[in-house]
Amino acid sequence: MNEKYNLGSVYFGILGVVALVCGIADLVVVAGGDSFSWGILEIPSDPFRGGWGGLIILFAGLFYLYSIKNFSEIHHFSKAVMGSILVWVIAGCDILAMITESIPGGEEGGWFNTLEGFLGTYAPPYAPAIFLLPFSLVIIYHLHKRGGTNADMEE
Amino acid sequence: MKLTVDERWDLIEKISKETVIFGVYKHTVKDAIGELTVKPLTGIPIAFAVLYGFWSFFGSFAGFFTDGFFVKLFDEHWLPWLQDVFPGGLGNWFYAIMVDAGHMENGILVASDNCFESFGVLTSGFFLAIGVVLPAIIAFYLILTLLEDTGYMPRLAVLIDTVLHKIGLHGFAIVPTILSLGCNVPAVTASRILETKKQRFIMMTLLAIFIPCGAQLGIMEEVIPDTIGFVLLYLFTGYFILGFILHKVLPGKSPEILIDVPPYQMPMLRDVAMKLWMRVKGFFKIAIPFVLLGCIIVNILYLANIIDWLANVLSPVLSGWFGVPKETVGPLIAAFLRKDLAVAQLSAIEMTKYQMITSVVLVSIYFPCVATFMMLLKEGWKDLLGSIAVLALVVFLYGGLLHLIWILLGVA
Repeated sequence: MNEKYNLGSVYFGILGVVALVCGIADLVVVAGGDSFSWGILEIPSDPFRGGWGGLIILFAGLFYLYSIKNFSEIHHFSKAVMGSILVWVIAGCDILAMITESIPGGEEGGWFNTLEGFLGTYAPPYAPAIFLLPFSLVIIYHLHKRGGTNADMEE
Repeated sequence: MKLTVDERWDLIEKISKETVIFGVYKHTVKDAIGELTVKPLTGIPIAFAVLYGFWSFFGSFAGFFTDGFFVKLFDEHWLPWLQDVFPGGLGNWFYAIMVDAGHMENGILVASDNCFESFGVLTSGFFLAIGVVLPAIIAFYLILTLLEDTGYMPRLAVLIDTVLHKIGLHGFAIVPTILSLGCNVPAVTASRILETKKQRFIMMTLLAIFIPCGAQLGIMEEVIPDTIGFVLLYLFTGYFILGFILHKVLPGKSPEILIDVPPYQMPMLRDVAMKLWMRVKGFFKIAIPFVLLGCIIVNILYLANIIDWLANVLSPVLSGWFGVPKETVGPLIAAFLRKDLAVAQLSAIEMTKYQMITSVVLVSIYFPCVATFMMLLKEGWKDLLGSIAVLALVVFLYGGLLHLIWILLGVA
């Protein structure tokens, strides 16, 4: 049991540091004014996605880091859950934006996008939150191991 | 057989021991998350994320339908078709009211090529109501309903309670405030949940002046996508400044609240769909007649040259004090009927980015739309007169302040 929680705290500790760095990078890029691209990673420079979104990723990192203090304890564990929820909000909004951009044909095109254009919308580069998303899903495994979220009574 | 009080209590204890199972409540992750959303240190970042999600969904959803499909449908198909088949043609007064008033280019009257500029009842009226406002309103009310049904709204009320006490309100005031971001009309009714006359007056005045409705937000997203954040920040700052002043100046009490915070739960699809349908239907009953009526009245005023006359009369105030073109008088008149209509009209006037920001702020703060006005009147004419007096002062000072900011920044 303890080993499982130790592993969890190490994992979310690392994820917390990565999320914190991503959040700070987002804010630095927004302050700089030009978007930043590196391979398949792109940090947007607009104040909404980069600034506000970056701040939330930074908070997600802090939530993860706070949780590792006593990962097995429910109040600390719930901070890791909250950190993941914050990542899901940002990544979910990014994915929704991609979906809504990919379907219409655009100003010059027809009603609907071409197959090439549709698939092209989902091609990299991606924002940091998208990269954090799969790693944040590990919290679902921990929630499942813990036995769900419903309240129960014990005699 | 008659029992004494002690005997009765003993009997109760005996029965309860045999019939009731006593247990210890085990704290769950859901409870712990519920606590995190209420405590300021953790709750404020979560509220930031919820607002981000709210706004991002609003933009993506409304943009998908408006920019993706409705702009194309109305500008490339509906408008040209009506321009072809509608009797009268450019220059005819009935055609101008119903389809396209046109605009002057080098002294020649030319047809409009988009529904933002044509300003006919059947073109701009329908485009605004269906193409722009409908997606925005559905997106707004969908998220609001989900937040209510999951149980987040009471937590937001608890979280923001301390801040709202500074302006004479309490946590429940977040309900009319957020409702107002959809439509001011139900929000004015919702302000009845506040206990004292002072609180209700502050709430209604702030709603009427500083909170743009969902329809207006949808149009603002179309017309000023890059500066909408600044406009909203300026409006929300005004909400707190004026609230603080009113709280200090007005006599009366601002009592505390006691909120029952329910556990988080999964929203039920049927409930969400029903609430969404009722709200969207209610909104459209109010909005569509006023949008269409607004198009008719503004077009008649233009055709009768009343707008031009008013623009010249009010020019010293509009250009001198607020720093906006005198042509904004037309949208300001339209704003009496619908503010979304007025913001759409602003997009057809040539002005700088900063003048556009000031104009949008002015349209937002200068007078409630007629539907809200009627609701305020229902709440009492004395309060309404008080709100309008405050409003007039605020428009003059707050609008002028924005012009002063541009002058100091060297952009006006």
